[in-house]
Amino acid sequence: MSLLAVNGVNKSFGGLQALTDISLSVNAGEIYGLIGPNGAGKTTLFNALTGLYSIDSGDIRLREARLADLPPHHILKLGLARTFQNIRLFAEMTALENVLVGRHARTRSGVIGAVLRLAPTRREEADSTERAHALLARVGIAQHADRVAKHLSYGDQRRLEIARALASEPEVLALDEPAAGMNPGERVALAALLRTLRDDGLTLLLIEHDVKLVMGLCDRLAVLDYGVKIFEGTPEAASRDPKVIAAYLGDETV
Amino acid sequence: MRNLSGKSRWLVFGLFAIGLALLPFLIDASMGRSWVRLLDLALLYVMLALGLNIVVGYAGLLDLGYVAFYALGAYVYAWLASPHFGLHLPFWAILPLGALLAGAFGVLLGAPTLRLRGDYLAIVTLGFGEIVRIFMNNLNAPFNLTNGPQGINLIDPVTIGGASLSQTQTWLGVTFNGVHLTYYLFLLATLAVVFVSMRLENSRIGRAWVAIREDEIAAAASGINTRNLKLLAFAMGATFGGLAGGLFASFQGFISPESFNLMESIMILCMIVLGGMGHIPGVIFGALVLTLLPEALRYTGDWQRAILGEVVIEPSDLRMLLFGFALVAVMLYRPAGLIPSSRRRAELADEAP
Repeated sequence: MSLLAVNGVNKSFGGLQALTDISLSVNAGEIYGLIGPNGAGKTTLFNALTGLYSIDSGDIRLREARLADLPPHHILKLGLARTFQNIRLFAEMTALENVLVGRHARTRSGVIGAVLRLAPTRREEADSTERAHALLARVGIAQHADRVAKHLSYGDQRRLEIARALASEPEVLALDEPAAGMNPGERVALAALLRTLRDDGLTLLLIEHDVKLVMGLCDRLAVLDYGVKIFEGTPEAASRDPKVIAAYLGDETV
Repeated sequence: MRNLSGKSRWLVFGLFAIGLALLPFLIDASMGRSWVRLLDLALLYVMLALGLNIVVGYAGLLDLGYVAFYALGAYVYAWLASPHFGLHLPFWAILPLGALLAGAFGVLLGAPTLRLRGDYLAIVTLGFGEIVRIFMNNLNAPFNLTNGPQGINLIDPVTIGGASLSQTQTWLGVTFNGVHLTYYLFLLATLAVVFVSMRLENSRIGRAWVAIREDEIAAAASGINTRNLKLLAFAMGATFGGLAGGLFASFQGFISPESFNLMESIMILCMIVLGGMGHIPGVIFGALVLTLLPEALRYTGDWQRAILGEVVIEPSDLRMLLFGFALVAVMLYRPAGLIPSSRRRAELADEAP
């Protein structure tokens, strides 16, 4: 059974039909690519999955839980975390604090605990801080823990966004163009990181424009064009599919 | 402070405490009693500024109606401890009640504004502030709740162990004037507010507020229930405002809607912006400066006489002009505030090559 199931999702903005009858099924433990030309509806689908947009019709399920119409924080708590195409960090906070915010859904202390610094709150803070440092190390920016997020390099900001998303202990991590703006060396490191995340049991949903990266990394992928899914299958099959070649790859050889 | 060892840290702390304890006597001796009274007022504004700082500085919600909660705290105190309704409850019962009620109103007034941001939020909260003031102004009929524009008079002063804080008391051979005693009460309340602010700042809740300020969508996608946390910010801020309001009513003995106009809200906001938004020492400093500077500028008449031999410009005319210039100058030369947070300073250092 698939871990994340999207069924017949429609979304329109005024007269523009952004998503038409989209159905996908993402299996546990795979890297699932979502590709398509600009304006194909990839980010719209991400926003629908993570509760930033409400959908007009259809069904989205993570295991048994219905995600459609839940608020974003609730969806995150159910185990679907995301990053953004146009990096959305908390710019004035340090890298460590950004990751600590990502722990919010998995921690509980409130005002009274904070003011009186009760034992459970102290324990929780220590635990969160330790996990946050470990996550920063995992994505490779441990040395920047105390730097303000907006002063990190572009690539490091993308890694920090991944660390923040991972802090919520997701089952599915949705990455919106994680390699955008990265140099070739950074891309290789990112691909390696994503593979180790998958090997640790995380399921990844990946929007990416870099065809080489997608082909090399994804176990399966779906191709969107003008809000319609025109293909779902392995990368090798995609590169041979005439509809995909026509719509997305054009006359480029892969 | 951070680099000091444990022992010298306690020493600095001890000296600071002694300084705070002796301050009203030093000021009384050097500058006169009216300045001790001003110091009391300044402490009230420190509480108000720290309360608004939670809403504006941390959560980034521009609230121009904050004075409504100050008014509410003051009126609750006046209703329960004055001849107006013939009730004379003790202060330790009324102050928490007023603060809690103000907190509840914070949620009530915050709820309709949740979808609003920036300018729109400012205008709606401005409206709420005015609505509360106008209510206070008009609720003398059909049932006389607020006594209208005349306000409520003869409010009980705070009484501790039979000793009223409005009268001179002698303990252990030391004579404490009313304003001195009020100072100690206000200082305790202020320290409590500072303590709560500091603890919240570096907590899960404080981080969630700042995350909302920085990027509300990313905050929601990071698992923060933005609705509840915004309401919590409004409630916490309003609670501090209500506490300050109750203390104000007991201190003045008289309140009227005039004390709670839009100008007050704006002044409190200025204290935060000028001192250093979201930074506790900055906000405290901003509140002290903005309370004391306009009073100090009353002395411009004396300065003119000393330098020029006569009063050329009336101090009352000159005062607000100089005050305005000072505000503009600070914003031009220290845009992040007089005492910006270390983070902002670190950023400036970061930017240097």
